[in-house]
Amino acid sequence: MRMATYIVRRLLLILPVLIGVTTITFLLFTSLPVSYQLLAHFGVPGQKAPCGGYFPSCDCEEINPHSVSNTTCQCPATVTSPATNTTPYASCPNPLYVSDVHQLGLDKPIPVQWATYIYNSFTFQWGTVSNNSYIVNHGGVAFIADVPVVTVLSWFLPYTLELAILSLIIILAIAIPLGNASAVNRNRPVDQLSRVMSFSGYAIPAFLLGSFLVVGLTLILLPTVGLTSHQPWCPGGEPLTQEFTYSWPQGGKACYPHQLLFPENYPHWLTYGVISHPTGFPTVDAMIHGDYWLALDSIIRMIVPALVIAYGTVAGLLRFVRNSMLEVMNLDYVRTARAKGVPEKAVIRRHAGRNSLNVTITVLGLTFAFFVGGFPVIESVFHLWGVGELLAYSVVPNIDFAMIFGSTLLFTFLVVGANIIVDVLYAFLDPRVRIG
Amino acid sequence: MSVQGEVAAPAPKRRRKAHPRLAQMARTWYFFRRNTLALVGLAVLVLIAGTAVYALTQPLPWYKMPVYCASDWGPGNPNSTWPKPYAGNNALGCSHVCTYEVSPPPNAAQYCDGQWYKTPLYTGGGINITFASFIPPTITLSPFSVGPMPLGGLTTQLGGVNAYDTYRSLLRGADWSLAFSVSIVGIGALVGLLVGAVAGFFGGVIDDVLMRIVDVFLSIPVILFVVVVVVVAGSAVVTLGPLDAISTRLFMLIVGFALVWWPFYARLVRGQVLVVREQKYVEAARASGASKGRILFRHIVPNSVYPIFIQFSLDVGTIPLLIGGLVFLGFGPELFPFVPFPEWGSIAAVSVIDMQEFLGQCFLPSGCAIPWWQLFFPGLALFMFAISVNLLSDGLRDALDPRLRR
Repeated sequence: MRMATYIVRRLLLILPVLIGVTTITFLLFTSLPVSYQLLAHFGVPGQKAPCGGYFPSCDCEEINPHSVSNTTCQCPATVTSPATNTTPYASCPNPLYVSDVHQLGLDKPIPVQWATYIYNSFTFQWGTVSNNSYIVNHGGVAFIADVPVVTVLSWFLPYTLELAILSLIIILAIAIPLGNASAVNRNRPVDQLSRVMSFSGYAIPAFLLGSFLVVGLTLILLPTVGLTSHQPWCPGGEPLTQEFTYSWPQGGKACYPHQLLFPENYPHWLTYGVISHPTGFPTVDAMIHGDYWLALDSIIRMIVPALVIAYGTVAGLLRFVRNSMLEVMNLDYVRTARAKGVPEKAVIRRHAGRNSLNVTITVLGLTFAFFVGGFPVIESVFHLWGVGELLAYSVVPNIDFAMIFGSTLLFTFLVVGANIIVDVLYAFLDPRVRIG
Repeated sequence: MSVQGEVAAPAPKRRRKAHPRLAQMARTWYFFRRNTLALVGLAVLVLIAGTAVYALTQPLPWYKMPVYCASDWGPGNPNSTWPKPYAGNNALGCSHVCTYEVSPPPNAAQYCDGQWYKTPLYTGGGINITFASFIPPTITLSPFSVGPMPLGGLTTQLGGVNAYDTYRSLLRGADWSLAFSVSIVGIGALVGLLVGAVAGFFGGVIDDVLMRIVDVFLSIPVILFVVVVVVVAGSAVVTLGPLDAISTRLFMLIVGFALVWWPFYARLVRGQVLVVREQKYVEAARASGASKGRILFRHIVPNSVYPIFIQFSLDVGTIPLLIGGLVFLGFGPELFPFVPFPEWGSIAAVSVIDMQEFLGQCFLPSGCAIPWWQLFFPGLALFMFAISVNLLSDGLRDALDPRLRR
């Protein structure tokens, strides 16, 4: 089979997976109360909305002041309030509730709702960020309120992607050589070292390690370099300790973009909006604008978080690399290569190493969901800007359902995409896959 | 006579041949026993299990400051005037009377329901910060000291950054962690075993459908899925059967984890079953007319469960880490309000959060002592648990997989 055919077939196979994933999300979404579903899709209704929210019914007076007993309200019944038990009030269906339920299709049978949800998911209609959410009120990013979730995610995704790419590079750069070395030097010190690394990586949670590093680096850097230093890329001065620990600057001392509340602290080109932000990737944008210090700055900020991510992931990967390498080293063709006098280095790298790469990539693909699932924690430990940080902010009250479901969909689609890449890589590395 | 005697003499005692599965277990134990590290892991696990059993007799700790007793006092609230005695019995069910230690604000602690609670963290301008009522400000070292662990150590209500009883939380954490980990991974492994065995054994359309479902679940990030499940359960007004709202959330936490956990086992078991079902003894069983169910559950499944044991023991150690991650994201007091949740990962996460708050309020050069023990001991418990489980799993693999035997 040709490579192109294989890729096309593989792409067709993801359709059922995507539908299945959205179905699961749909099942969870429908078990939310209807008001929350409406909130998640349309955002918080404005002040002018009757009753001020998505209540199924509200007082007649709220909808139509001064006309409690008026026929224009068309109240079906007069209800006695159980709380006060004295003042009777008229209750009407909330017109906003009714119309939005109808618009979202929540009054239709479940299969129709399911189809609608899948359509919405595939067309990126993922709802609206609540303007009540924690990140809007406390996170200092008021600009994301009442904006479609997809838009906000598209602003923040490049940050997460940069972190993911950097940590993937670190992971591969550590896991493959170390795993190979520990298989070749079995039961020698290198092997023991990699075992210890693997064990401890499993046993130390990322939030703990990350926090220790934040505190430790702060304590180390503080007395040596002082509280604040002026750097060429930050004329206003920012705490140098935050360079390594708090990845995006806090407070009003931002040197790098992320506080639209304080635009005077930005590099001039960042305030010009989308046009000056061609890719959205902070490092790339800085490079495009010739702001090399800024690019370096944004990379430096990602190093420690990427190392923490890599530590946990490498732990899972190492033993697979080691075992697959051990198996490959016992195969006949390796013995043949040795017998015909190929130097040992070449045997390990060219003959055995390349074939054990298959397993590494497969395992990486399988654990990608774990890898991605760790980002919210890492990003909130290091105050990195990214989708994970958004998610971390949206689970604290007030819970932002649109953001939670949106970022879940996004991460799931990312994992599916990564699995395709892994499969294609696998087919590229191992021709038996696409032939057989 | 003598001949007769010889005949009557008992035949030399033949050792009865053990059941093959028992023999294999004995063999496994033999190899396992020679692995010192694995034995250490087993010993630590047994210790933890013993602690868990003892912990069951102990009361649950108050793990987070009960807000209803203290929310409206202290300089954290700009509208409050300190001191403000508070009599309980409000809408949230605090029916007891809370009193405060009669002393100036820096050393104040709150006495409530028989225990000491949080001390105010702020004094005056927020520069000189003491964190525990019984550590006098004179021994807050500067600039970067770690606080001396107070006498009585973990056994007292420290009233530090976070107001929970470290010792008691750690103690109850033993059984909570074990219960959570084992139940989550156990459910996952059981479901995965069934699905994987059926998929591998029957093949064809059943296999295809089941494996597509597995693919779907495998592509959902673990923590995110659990977040969604717990949030949905928390917002829905339904409760499950006899459970109250909080227990429903805890239950959904388990269910959420188990839902993302089973596909790994399904894949593992399926791969193993595909190998085992081609073996001669399966063919023999089929030839002798055994039913499909009997072949599957008496012949194939028992011979393909060993990888599950290894994976099981590995996964049990990661659950507290993941729960800690969840709590770190904000699932502690917010989603489980007023409830002690003394799971080791959760304790560590809450400690980290509170430590960050503490350091944020603490301007280091002016000096503040870091209550390191609140972070160290939960972290140690977590680490010991995960690493012992890891060592055990490694030993099991070495003992069960002849190819890897040294």
